[in-house]
Amino acid sequence: MRGATPLFVAALALLLSGGPSQAQSSNDTLTVAFGAEGTTMDPARYSAGVDQYFISQMFEQLVRFDKDLKPVNWLAESWSIQGTADKPIIDVHLRPGVKFHNGDPMTAADFEFCFQRLKDAKVSRWTHLQVNVEQFEIVDDLHFRLHFSAPDADYIVGNLQLWAIPKKYFEQVGDEGFSKAPVGTGPWKFVSRSIKEDIKFEAFDDYWNKDARPKVKHLVAKIIPEDLTRVAAFKAGNVDWIDAVPLSAIEEIKKMPGVKTFTAISGNNLYVDFPSYQPNSPFNKEKVRQAVAQAVDMDAIIKSVLFGQGERYEQIGKGSTGYDPALKPYPFDPKAAKKLLAEAGYPNGFETPCYNLTTPREPNIKEYGEAVFAYLGAVGIRCKVQGLEYAAWINLGRRGRNGPPDMDGVLMWMWGQGLPGDPATPWGGHLHSFVAGKGWGSYSYTDDKKADEMVEKLKGVMDPEQRVGLIKEIAQYAHDNVLGGVTTYRPVITFAWREKVEFKPWPSANWRNFKEVGLKN
Amino acid sequence: MKSNIIKGLANALVSIVGASLIIFVISRLSGDPVALMLPIEAPKSAIDELRKSLGLDLPIWQQYLIFLSHAVRGDFGNSYRWQMPALQLVFERLPATIELAIAAFTFSVLLAVPLGVLSAVYRGSWIDHLGRIIAMLGQAVPSFWVGLVLILVFAVGLGWLPAFGADSFKHVILPAISLGWYPVAAQTRIIRSGMLEVLDSDYIRMGRAVGTPERLLIWKYAFRNALLPLVTIMGVYFAAMLSGAFVVETVFAWPGLGRTVVEAVFSRDYPVVQAGVLVTSIVFILSNFLVDLSYSLIDPRIRR
Repeated sequence: MRGATPLFVAALALLLSGGPSQAQSSNDTLTVAFGAEGTTMDPARYSAGVDQYFISQMFEQLVRFDKDLKPVNWLAESWSIQGTADKPIIDVHLRPGVKFHNGDPMTAADFEFCFQRLKDAKVSRWTHLQVNVEQFEIVDDLHFRLHFSAPDADYIVGNLQLWAIPKKYFEQVGDEGFSKAPVGTGPWKFVSRSIKEDIKFEAFDDYWNKDARPKVKHLVAKIIPEDLTRVAAFKAGNVDWIDAVPLSAIEEIKKMPGVKTFTAISGNNLYVDFPSYQPNSPFNKEKVRQAVAQAVDMDAIIKSVLFGQGERYEQIGKGSTGYDPALKPYPFDPKAAKKLLAEAGYPNGFETPCYNLTTPREPNIKEYGEAVFAYLGAVGIRCKVQGLEYAAWINLGRRGRNGPPDMDGVLMWMWGQGLPGDPATPWGGHLHSFVAGKGWGSYSYTDDKKADEMVEKLKGVMDPEQRVGLIKEIAQYAHDNVLGGVTTYRPVITFAWREKVEFKPWPSANWRNFKEVGLKN
Repeated sequence: MKSNIIKGLANALVSIVGASLIIFVISRLSGDPVALMLPIEAPKSAIDELRKSLGLDLPIWQQYLIFLSHAVRGDFGNSYRWQMPALQLVFERLPATIELAIAAFTFSVLLAVPLGVLSAVYRGSWIDHLGRIIAMLGQAVPSFWVGLVLILVFAVGLGWLPAFGADSFKHVILPAISLGWYPVAAQTRIIRSGMLEVLDSDYIRMGRAVGTPERLLIWKYAFRNALLPLVTIMGVYFAAMLSGAFVVETVFAWPGLGRTVVEAVFSRDYPVVQAGVLVTSIVFILSNFLVDLSYSLIDPRIRR
């Protein structure tokens, strides 16, 4: 037996003799690590924001936001709203000389093809956004018009919705072929994908925007869901860039020599909702809703529970369409909250179910919910807490289900207004009252006629300036009456990369877009 | 022998059909996947349309019969999330899980067998105590914690091994240790007690008396007789490693089946849950079947 020990040590030494495990990147490969993974590389099939992290590396839209969150024409050379107020037309001129990765030129037919796929319920999860487009007119190869049956702002706030999808190539390879070898116009070409492992891209030499071409040949996106492992991989030099640095590690990472970080708003909006539409609910009373708004010290929660990685907002986030710096959150005032509860007929408070999301859709979200419930308890709103994983949570939140009873208490909820942000769609879902079969209020616990009228009006306003005025008006009304829930914070996200990486954060795909990226020698 | 095999195969078939029914019913009890597949603002009409296109509007017994008739042909339908055949997704991920399970199993056996035998041979010595401490730690410390500590020491601290991934042999070492440490305790204990029993038996004492070398006595005569209970528990643990690698797969971003199936459960991706659990069940049942067969190879008395 004595001979076994040295043999084992020798074998271990041989095994480890490869020396330190180096970064998987070389000078022509940038290796990045994401915490989550998209499920599709087909832009017409995407359903969640995480899909866009990967799709946006190789597919592009007509309009995009620049680094200052201002809209700029991208594949569209120009566009305008024409027609009449009742039946508007979006007229688009495409940028000439844009090629797909397979060499095909981009034409209006490719956008018409995308539109048809977005309309198809078997393919798209966004059919409801196309219902007001009654005709797609191709004027010539680089010119098309979208004819609307009614004013609809969804196209305006959604970067004109359409993606460049190569019609000719798609028809050659079919749906399955396209999902295995997708082709777009973006700066990165698809190379391969291994689910749960990685996605590999190669720089597209013929990319139309010479200023935004990557200066590195290969991009490898690794999927590392565990926060600590992702950070460890970065520290060990296995990856060059990491997504979503966990809150507790941000300070440490920022102090690491040779490391750069970027912190920005993630595009999500969190709030506390309650069934104000139910006549028998305490939350039906405005004073109770105001008590909730004043009971919670969000600044303390952001500082202590979220490690400072959150930004307070009131109805509209800073930089979003219609942001009004004069509109401030209710102050933290537990005495006033107790007084309001007493005035509402609850001098001893009341018990209520409180539903918390336990799936980490945002960092420390469960702890944030628990802190809110504790603050509510301190003023007399005593929570019977129930934790829910994502599927159960979304099921509980949805109105008009054929299942268990509707949500009947305090619900921690979120609905991203996006980047730079526009509240029209979220308000249509949670500020407008629930209307079965019409798409309004699908997660709404509010029932207010004036709010309904204003939100419906907003959907039809396509003029940007008019939208700003109306959004401010709605925000003030929702704030004054505490409708659509109590807004709490917008999560902040931090990315980290090695100094050798030249990374310029772009707001598209929630800042995870690798345009104009390079590696220093 | 032949009748044992036929009986075992028949039992396996019944178990697999039973497993398919349980998986089918339980996955549907978890709720409706359609709300998760559509954006939050999608109207009810879009939800109903999607539910119909997936066949989820049919009575559950009808859904099961359709599932069963397709499953026997290897068609589990398309993954709701990944929009590709569920079985293809499972088979793409299964090799990584099998690779990890084999590596972890090898690690556990290589550690447990010498520890167990030496603990028995040198009962009460420091080797015996050390063996118990190592085994106890394996059971007391959760695998995710072991994984994170190994990453911090060997990837971040020493830089010897990669922190994540499955690109080379080096990548499997840390996940295999994390996954394989837990069963070491049980295996060590069983070998130790088995060996103690055998080492006290008359034929071993007789062997010693006639001058048979100690090494031959321990490894040829004693160890083989102590092997039967170990094989039983090894079979159970190997199957458990196949189906229970989710935590370690997540910690090390190992692209295996466990992570795929657990995420499918959370997103109610029925086809992937059904295909993944059924394939794992088949592997589990077959491994137990092989363990049963191996008894007759180890112990000739069983053949009779």
